[in-house]
Amino acid sequence: MRVLVCLKQILDPDVPARDFEIDPAAKAAKRGGANLVTNIFCENAIETALQFREAAADAKITALCYGESTAEDCLRKAMAMTVDEACLVQRDGNTNPDAAAVGRVLAAAIQRLEQDGGPFDAVLVGRESGDWGTGQTGGALAEELGRPVLGFVESLAPGNGSVTLRRQTDVGIEVAEAEPPFVVTITNNEDNVPRIPKTRDVMMSYRKPLQKLSLADLGLDSDEIRSGSSNFEVEEIFVPTDEVECELAEGDTLDERVDQLARKIHEVVASIG
Amino acid sequence: MDPTQATREVFWNIQYTWLVYVLMVPTLAVFGWGFWLKIRRWRAGQPAVRFDRPGERLRLFLRNAIGQGRTIKRRYAGVFHSLVYTGFIVLFLATTVVAIHHDTPLHIMKGHFYLIFQSLIVDIFGLFVLVGVALAAIRRWISKPKLLVYTDEASWILVTIFVMALTGFMIEGWRIAVTDDPWAHWSPIGNLFALGSDPWMTDTAMQRGHVIIWWFHLVVAFGWIAWVPFSKMSHIFTAPLNIFTANLDGYGGSLKTIDFETAERFGINHLGDFTWKDLLDFDACTECGRCTDVCPANTVGKSLSPRDIILDLQALMHKQGDQFLAGSNGSNGDGNGATLPVIDEKTAMAPEALFSCTTCAACMEACPVHIEQMPKIVDARRFLVMEEADFPEGMMDMMNSLESRQHPFAGTQFNRVDWTEGLDIDVMADMDDPAEAEVLMWVGCGGALVERNRNTVRATAKLLKKAGVKFAILGREESCSGDPARRVGNEFLFEMLAKGNVETLSRYGVRKVVTSCPHCFNSFKNEYPHFGGSYEVYHHTQFLDQLLAEGRLDRARSATVNGGRTITFHDPCYLGRHNGEYDAPRNLLAHLGGTRQVEMQRSGNQSFCCGGGGGMAFVDEPPDQRVNQERAQEAVDTGADVVAVGCPFCATMLDDGVNARRGDRDVRVKDVAELLWDEVGTP
Ligand code: SF4
Ligand code: SF4
Repeated sequence: MRVLVCLKQILDPDVPARDFEIDPAAKAAKRGGANLVTNIFCENAIETALQFREAAADAKITALCYGESTAEDCLRKAMAMTVDEACLVQRDGNTNPDAAAVGRVLAAAIQRLEQDGGPFDAVLVGRESGDWGTGQTGGALAEELGRPVLGFVESLAPGNGSVTLRRQTDVGIEVAEAEPPFVVTITNNEDNVPRIPKTRDVMMSYRKPLQKLSLADLGLDSDEIRSGSSNFEVEEIFVPTDEVECELAEGDTLDERVDQLARKIHEVVASIG
Repeated sequence: MDPTQATREVFWNIQYTWLVYVLMVPTLAVFGWGFWLKIRRWRAGQPAVRFDRPGERLRLFLRNAIGQGRTIKRRYAGVFHSLVYTGFIVLFLATTVVAIHHDTPLHIMKGHFYLIFQSLIVDIFGLFVLVGVALAAIRRWISKPKLLVYTDEASWILVTIFVMALTGFMIEGWRIAVTDDPWAHWSPIGNLFALGSDPWMTDTAMQRGHVIIWWFHLVVAFGWIAWVPFSKMSHIFTAPLNIFTANLDGYGGSLKTIDFETAERFGINHLGDFTWKDLLDFDACTECGRCTDVCPANTVGKSLSPRDIILDLQALMHKQGDQFLAGSNGSNGDGNGATLPVIDEKTAMAPEALFSCTTCAACMEACPVHIEQMPKIVDARRFLVMEEADFPEGMMDMMNSLESRQHPFAGTQFNRVDWTEGLDIDVMADMDDPAEAEVLMWVGCGGALVERNRNTVRATAKLLKKAGVKFAILGREESCSGDPARRVGNEFLFEMLAKGNVETLSRYGVRKVVTSCPHCFNSFKNEYPHFGGSYEVYHHTQFLDQLLAEGRLDRARSATVNGGRTITFHDPCYLGRHNGEYDAPRNLLAHLGGTRQVEMQRSGNQSFCCGGGGGMAFVDEPPDQRVNQERAQEAVDTGADVVAVGCPFCATMLDDGVNARRGDRDVRVKDVAELLWDEVGTP
């Protein structure tokens, strides 16, 4: 069994609010003082793949990332978590290609990796990213690959020639049998919390080879990809402001203040209608 | 009677004296064999440099081995141990005198020396032994404090020593009675036995009794000597050796470094990975229990017990015997199963216990024989963290954050420079000439990123400004010192952070560092030199104390801000015990007009941890086992209005604790710098 996990590097969602800034011209968040981290659902996907490998003795895991050179850190961490091999498709500049464009790049890279190493039985993608959060990449990638996709999967278990998938739905857990090859998007549950790598594996991760591909290597037009596809356009991006108006109920005695407060509530309710 | 002729007959009433020498051979053989086994085991350990700096070692040896400096800190145990200890020394000398007198041409046992030393003094010290053992027995069998280990061995030790001393007096007494010793009154206790026996025993009976008891005494004594290396009495020899080879660098510098390029295993899970000094530690334990008695985790009911860690490791070492030697000799331990794991759910080395240590070093300070418990706990944590990736969740989040954000506070709403707002503080990276800054103010994550501590670093910065100190901060270039990673056992992460910081500091040519975090302080002072970073390092209280002394900060203009308040200072472990600074913060507090300082019951080097060290600040403790509340209660009990602190971790831990324990009293937790600024900074 060959499993591929897609990763995305994003701005640390835990960045303090006042350190988060928007570049209105680029219509994107500024890096500022924020750190770069692996998107959490992608880490859940790695963990899910690792657990699948533990259950299916002969599985091999490849991590794939489309990102800037800084994204090497995400792939190294994946290797520290003991993913078998890693590949970075280099993205130039801080651009934000949309999900369809990313799907196309990932699909091309996957096909290239399959040429070299044989087909991937399962492709795992995080449910959504912590920055744009569109949740579209998995679907777009499956479309490009022409493979079936199932969303919100929380675990994979080897079956007899097939793979048993557990997916979260609004009403409960759905269990599906899937014939490879397929694509799944991975969501989190208490069992796929990303493991902390062992130090020796961290050290080893720096010694493992990391394959790097450019868009040109994949025969893709970088201009087209960079500008995203034409499904939609970001018009404006801004940090919403929360405005709080605070008024204190006045009065000398508690009764007076309660009275005032009740009146205010009435007024507000009336104004909302 | 001419006192210069006073003496007594050696082997009076004893025949077959050659048998003594014959029996001595197997006794000494077993004794020597026992210690040889021990030494052989120690030698199987990893190398450690512990015979350097002989002068300092000798001083420590004289103070705490010969002088019993630490043993006497507990009054009751100190008294009885001193009685037995001094008694043993004098009785040993007396035996040596007998041997010299009888077996060499030097007949020294006579005259005034015989009367004063060999009779009177020896009698008195023999009585010391009897009384000392009786006191120990009362404690062990009647008052039964929790800190002791109740083994048959320990009881037998008391019984045998008592028997030896008692039979010694019996044979002395009967000899005096039968021989009508003219010098009897020089041996008061023996004489008492003589006088006591005389009325109801015939000379023949006493003489016969003397022979029997004499041989009995000899057999017990020889048996006892042979038993020494196999019982905790071996501490007579291992303890002084252990004290001589103690760590001289303070607790703050007591963790080992790891060479990641060559190490076969990170951390320790096999006896063979310990150094010979660690192995000696196991054999030096006297089972006194003081370490566990002072351990904050144990005090609040957790399973951690440094005493049992040492004793369980000792038992493991003895149990493994030659197997352990085979598994480790000469190599770094091969981990092939030849040795049993030292981390074991069923012993004191259970992961849960190991991960409740605050690395406060109270155990090490309490140990009369200088055993180093805490570094062994960290050694084992290293194995769990780096080899097994197995540790509590809170620590996991902390380390994840350290890895991706270089600070341990995931989810903080602050960045590293927010606190400077409105203060106009130089940031190294923005200065034309960073060398203009004489001092680097190292803010620390706990100061910059935790809301309640931002006031402390602001106060420190304002005080530095007021004193005209040219300082700068690193701002966003500052990373965690690595202390939390190191104490939790992630040495690799610590090393990365440390190297990064040393590089940044070198870039700006930093020579002097002031920090308000004792953990950073300790790392800079004791741990960074290993990575090539040597600085003049000050805790903010030390630096401010110096500024006050130099007159660069004038004394309060208004003595009213803190006036009338009672203040108690909580010693941070990493400033106090780890680095020996107890005075600077107290000096500063003494400068606050109109205040009164009170001490908590446990203070100075006996201080009790706030519960936040060793990564524990990041772990959710069970509500009924919170170290911070235990400490807060102690602070509240002093009646103080202000609990002064000198550490951002202490501040948050004690804030929580005091709020839980202050009842309806108004008790505040404040950093010394805050208090000082309240006063010096008030117009
Ligand atoms: S260092 Fe402190 S918490 Fe750890 S075992 Fe020793 S006394 Fe207990
Ligand atoms: S380790 Fe030290 S303090 Fe603890 S029981 Fe042994 S001798 Fe006593």
